[in-house]
Amino acid sequence: MKKTLTCLFLLASFLVISHPSLAQKKDSNWPRIYSEQHFHITEVMVTDVASPPVAARIYAYSNLAAYRVLQESGAEFSHGDFLAQSTIQGKMTGLSLGNIDAPEFAAIYAMFLVGEKIMPSGYLLEEKQEAWKAWGLKTKTVGKKNIEAHLAYAQAVADQVLSVARKDGYLQLTAMTRYTPKEGPGYWYPTPPAYMAAVEPEWKTMQTFFLRDLDQYDPAPMAPFDLQPGASFQRQMMEVYERGKKLSEEERLIANFWDCNPFKVEFAGHMAIGVKKISPGGHWMGITGIAAQKAELGFAETAFLHALVGMALHDAFVSCWKAKYDTHRIRPETVINQTLDETWKPILQTPPFPEYTSGHSVISSAASTLLTAYFGDGFGFVDSSEVYFGLPEREFTSFYQASDEAAISRLYGGIHFRDAIENGVVQGKKIGAFIWESIGK
Amino acid sequence: MRFVFHITSKPLLIAFLSGLCLAAFGQEYSSKFEAVSLKKSKVNFKNQLVEDQKNNILRYEYFYNGGGVAIGDLDGDGLDDIFLTGNMTANKLYRNLGGLKFEDVTKVAGVGGKDSWTTGVSMADVNGDGLLDIYVSFSGKGTPESRKNELWINLGGFRFEEKAEDFGIADPSNTTQGLFFDFDRDGDLDLFLLNHHIQVINTLEFDAVRKERHPYAGDKLYENVGGKFIDISEKSGIKSNALGFGLSVLASDINGDGWPDLLVTNDYIEPDYLYLNQGDGTFSDRMAENFQHISHFSMGADIADINNDGLPDVLTLDMLPEDNERQKLLYGPENYEQYALMLKQGFHHQNMRNMLQLNQGNGAFSEIGQMAGISNTDWSWSALFLDANNDGQKDLFVTNGYFRDYTNRDFLKYKGDYYFRQAIDGQKADTLHLVTSMTSTPVHDYFFENKGNLQFLDRSEAAGFASKNFSSGAAYSDLDNDGDLDLVVSHLNETASILENKSEKGSWLQVELREKSQNPYALGALLTVFAQGETQKLELYPTRGFQSSSTYRLHVGLGPNSQVDSLQILWPDQHVQTLVKPTINQLLRIEKAEGLPSYQASPKKQSLLAKASDGAGIAVPTSSLNDFKRQPLMLTMPSHLGPIMAKTDLDGDGLEELFVGGSKGSPGRIYTYQDSAWVAYRGFRSAAEFTDAVALFEDFNGDGKADLFLGSGGYHDYTSEDASLRDRLFLNDGNGVLVPQGNFPDYRISTGAAVALDANGDGFLDLFVGARLIPGRYPEIPASRLLLNDGKGKFTLSEAALPQGGKLGMITAATKQDLDGDGLQDLILVGEYLSPLALINRKGSFEDQSERYFPALLSGWWSSLAQADLDGDGDLDLVAGNFGLNSQLVANADKSLRLYAADFDQNGSIDPILECFVDDDYYPFASRDELLDQMAGMRSKFTNYAGYSKAKVSDLFTPEELAKAQRLEANMLESTYFENTPEGFVPHALPRIAQSNPTYAILVTDLNGDGRPDLILGGNQSQNRIRIGKIDAGLGLVLLNAGPGRFQALSPAESGLMIKGDIKSILELSLGGQKTLVFGINQQQPEFYHRQ
Repeated sequence: MKKTLTCLFLLASFLVISHPSLAQKKDSNWPRIYSEQHFHITEVMVTDVASPPVAARIYAYSNLAAYRVLQESGAEFSHGDFLAQSTIQGKMTGLSLGNIDAPEFAAIYAMFLVGEKIMPSGYLLEEKQEAWKAWGLKTKTVGKKNIEAHLAYAQAVADQVLSVARKDGYLQLTAMTRYTPKEGPGYWYPTPPAYMAAVEPEWKTMQTFFLRDLDQYDPAPMAPFDLQPGASFQRQMMEVYERGKKLSEEERLIANFWDCNPFKVEFAGHMAIGVKKISPGGHWMGITGIAAQKAELGFAETAFLHALVGMALHDAFVSCWKAKYDTHRIRPETVINQTLDETWKPILQTPPFPEYTSGHSVISSAASTLLTAYFGDGFGFVDSSEVYFGLPEREFTSFYQASDEAAISRLYGGIHFRDAIENGVVQGKKIGAFIWESIGK
Repeated sequence: MRFVFHITSKPLLIAFLSGLCLAAFGQEYSSKFEAVSLKKSKVNFKNQLVEDQKNNILRYEYFYNGGGVAIGDLDGDGLDDIFLTGNMTANKLYRNLGGLKFEDVTKVAGVGGKDSWTTGVSMADVNGDGLLDIYVSFSGKGTPESRKNELWINLGGFRFEEKAEDFGIADPSNTTQGLFFDFDRDGDLDLFLLNHHIQVINTLEFDAVRKERHPYAGDKLYENVGGKFIDISEKSGIKSNALGFGLSVLASDINGDGWPDLLVTNDYIEPDYLYLNQGDGTFSDRMAENFQHISHFSMGADIADINNDGLPDVLTLDMLPEDNERQKLLYGPENYEQYALMLKQGFHHQNMRNMLQLNQGNGAFSEIGQMAGISNTDWSWSALFLDANNDGQKDLFVTNGYFRDYTNRDFLKYKGDYYFRQAIDGQKADTLHLVTSMTSTPVHDYFFENKGNLQFLDRSEAAGFASKNFSSGAAYSDLDNDGDLDLVVSHLNETASILENKSEKGSWLQVELREKSQNPYALGALLTVFAQGETQKLELYPTRGFQSSSTYRLHVGLGPNSQVDSLQILWPDQHVQTLVKPTINQLLRIEKAEGLPSYQASPKKQSLLAKASDGAGIAVPTSSLNDFKRQPLMLTMPSHLGPIMAKTDLDGDGLEELFVGGSKGSPGRIYTYQDSAWVAYRGFRSAAEFTDAVALFEDFNGDGKADLFLGSGGYHDYTSEDASLRDRLFLNDGNGVLVPQGNFPDYRISTGAAVALDANGDGFLDLFVGARLIPGRYPEIPASRLLLNDGKGKFTLSEAALPQGGKLGMITAATKQDLDGDGLQDLILVGEYLSPLALINRKGSFEDQSERYFPALLSGWWSSLAQADLDGDGDLDLVAGNFGLNSQLVANADKSLRLYAADFDQNGSIDPILECFVDDDYYPFASRDELLDQMAGMRSKFTNYAGYSKAKVSDLFTPEELAKAQRLEANMLESTYFENTPEGFVPHALPRIAQSNPTYAILVTDLNGDGRPDLILGGNQSQNRIRIGKIDAGLGLVLLNAGPGRFQALSPAESGLMIKGDIKSILELSLGGQKTLVFGINQQQPEFYHRQ
């Protein structure tokens, strides 16, 4: 196996494994295998430079496929079936495919099949599918005789998931009028250095999985644009500006740890360099895997949790993106450059969409709410997701601690005002709580 | 292929198929250059680069810019010697031994120079002792000390002494090249130092950085004060900020006032500078007033009179490739917000391609690089205009090539993937690995023969430039004294080329000037040669192209002429010396004579028209609507169609009222002229929701008073059947009040044209309404309509009166005449992707007889139409405005523009896919980003730029999909005069300058009072995709009718017209008895011109 197959989340498991390979026994550590295979989806997204909301959609459908295989094959879940309360419930009816010997094998394969179709460079997963088949045979998870039946099973489930994905509004996005920045003070305008076009301005038209009325999850109103000294907006702007100048080493580290900018562009004359990272959603899918491993969940529970978190992330992004394009709020970088200091630069590169609310705050809070509900509060873990980007592991005593840190990191990073963070956290927790509520535990 | 504009006796397309225009003196010569073998020339200089961890493109942005060439006779033996600079290797000096044999005298001369990053070189007699000295420039990442430029003072006999410190020009800037010229005309040579920054400036810092002078990046001007050079940059108005990435500087008297001006080209965001010499020791950058748009990454440049009109024209080079594959690898997403920001910050309109600014006099420049055929020469360095075949027209040589495919869009993402992968593998990223993993694509140099008539023909291969390499500095000189110009070209990592001119060529004359002054070589003199009615001008400024300087001899090609009538030298001190009938085919050495007369500018001739200030009071709608947000694959924005105009005397007071059309948000208005100003006319009101596309003042109810029909058009944010697309009729109540008619039929089309005509022969004026488009659904074709009038101004829709149910095409203009002589008025229509239509009136219904009246292959992007008896034979001829030839798009009988449209991905939006001919074949026009933005499904099909770079339309869609799609085709873009003959209309292209922009308005009137109707054309298109850029070469063009079917284009100086902007309508009014022309201009106040 190639080195590149090394699991991203390896370091999270306290065991030190010298060189993990896929040659595991059947009763092997399913959460870790799930994470390893799931990371291939992330890798393709990195190649494609999927934007944060698009990435969440991909996580949602690919993990949904894995979950559906388990569900279809009659697995029991400790918290029941969350699809029953979802908007797609009617489209996720049983396929009557019956039982199979290794639903785990088919589940991962179905995840690949959905990923392959749903991502532009999904063809890159073909190689992973082959490797997965080889692993299945080698570890005798499946046999030569029944592997085809497993693949067909996976395909049937993947087809069902993809038929839902095809009608969720994504393909209609390119038919819509593109975004024109609003004219006037306080409105968002593309930001340096690449001045990239607004990302997914019509994302609010996307089908959500759990939220039925987006208006209910609108954040509290933001501080109105007001540069008068003492006005809330002005004070928040000054906070970002001043805070950025006197960050502690720890705060700087926090900003970078939670950067999660899928495509940071650096220019050198004629040449632009795209620096890639995993998206905020990818970071939380990583944490989900880390927690599943620590809790030594079985495969069914692992799949359940990944699908639930992935779908919740998607809903949280839709809600947050609705707020962003309802408010069109200016980024700190723009307003500070215009009114305060024309050479000021945030430590993080400002991502290409309006400011309010903070996406990382909303989605991190939604995810941590669900993970806390599932694992209980005070579930400590070591987050090693960013080790590959030269950042150390970080230890957290709870999911909320992590999501609160992710939220405030955007202030340190100079890309969000405080109210977008604080109201974003509330927004995300409300979404998470509703989803947990609605699945009826 | 060329269009002629004189009548031919043969009808139909013969006129289009005649050959290329002849050169100045009417004879064709083919150019040919041959490399002199190294064995023979002994010029073995090689600008070899070594890439390592310390020296590479990621560390030093200008690592692959290449070296320079300087040529001049250093020892006075009548043979030009050669100096070549090496970036990382020693410079070399070669003595010309004659017969294209050279001797390396670097060692003896001691001019190898220091071990620093060497850039450009110039030869000039800096100390005025009669011997050419050499000024070598340095840059790179080294210390300031290492970058101090060198001045090699010529001691004679190939002995030199480095004296830069003594002269005060051992400047430590990051210099590209030094230009010597006598800017203050005090008789000695001053120095302009062209510098560049070595760090890329963050966009955030633009505003701050622009205010500051940078000691090493900023350009400098040194004044020669008694042999000592003094830095006077700041007080002379020279910009010296860190955004300056100067890549070439040229001196030329651009505005003809006798003072040398400067052109400085800048790479990246900083605009080029056009420094006009104020004659008082200062310069003023007037670039933005003179050039309407410029090259974005400006590199090399040249200035020369390319059309022999006596005015110097300006060429700046950029990096747009010629072929589809390299273009597609280069083009990223179009970013309108970033472009708007660039404009707002004062960086001007900049596009990535070579720009040829045709000097039209009086500060009017028309950028015609694409029409001239020289806009795409890849990553280009040196531009040299030289008459290679001695035909009297200056040809063009361009060097190019960049050692690494640095701008490849895939590399941007690949680099990111590389870092990501290295991170996952726990390994450190290796910059040198990245550098060397960039592909390297050599390209051939370009050689264009100037064919006159603003046309250059790519003769690269035939002229001997087929081989692919990386070329940088270049210079020309008659190295072997055989009466033609040879070339010396510096290459990266390859031996420099000596290219012997072996053209089949015309006669010639060479001139060498000498004067007794501190400027013995008369640098800055202007030579004018008169022969056979042709005038050629050459300025003596050898520093040109890129990092190089050419021969001091002025070389003039004379074609088949056996003599010249006279030649005139305008010496730098503005004294004039004339030689009558000098012997040709020889080198003339001219010493400045004593007691010469001073130059007297000839008095300006009065122009036909003069700008007047009659526009006060008129409100003009402005709009920043971006139609590409709605349909990203359109090429131009249909919303910006106005203002249209119409006139009539509504209230019968003998004065004409003027209607100026509105655009959504700003209603159309009628104005009355009172006391030298326009005031709103009381009897009319229109709502702001409409966009006026056509206005017709006609008497529709037969009461003898003018009524008004308003065709509503536009694209805007209208829905496909928006209520604001209703056309409107206003009847005059007899007192001049226009009353809207609620009973006018309600049909919803975006109107493009309308004609009032008696369609059914009942004696009442009916209406033909031509449909232009469906908002949001371009290029779907809506149905045009015929409306019948009951004589009282009550109209009813006449169903089935038009062929094809009215779906005739995207109609833009229409007119009527009785084509078949049956006494009934027939219709002539033009439109986008449409061949002109002739619809014959069968008493109330119309029959398509276009094929009877128009030849084939006339489908164009027609946008305007006028008719008049232009050839005086008693019938009505047509003039139709088309898109013109000044864009990247090509359409002719062999190469068509094809538009496929369908909702290919079934998501509810029309996907218009344009297929066009690029270089060698048909390819989709859309860049990868544009296509992927339109159709999500294409994202899986083309996962990288390389994959898309070779894609054809057949790779995008299946044959079945294409067969089902709407298909439109265009095969001519020339604005055309259609001669009415018994056999039908015979097309003749209008004069070439009329093809330099789209024509949206045509007025026919006898301007010069000779009894023949003349033409006034207006146009331009600024609302294009960023990649197409502004097409703004038109300044309002007068074409005088010079006898049957001949049109003479007037220059702005002759016509008096100089209108910058998109002219959408032209009207002739009588204001206080004064005949006045009014030009309606998109987003601008109308302009008024009086006849003189």
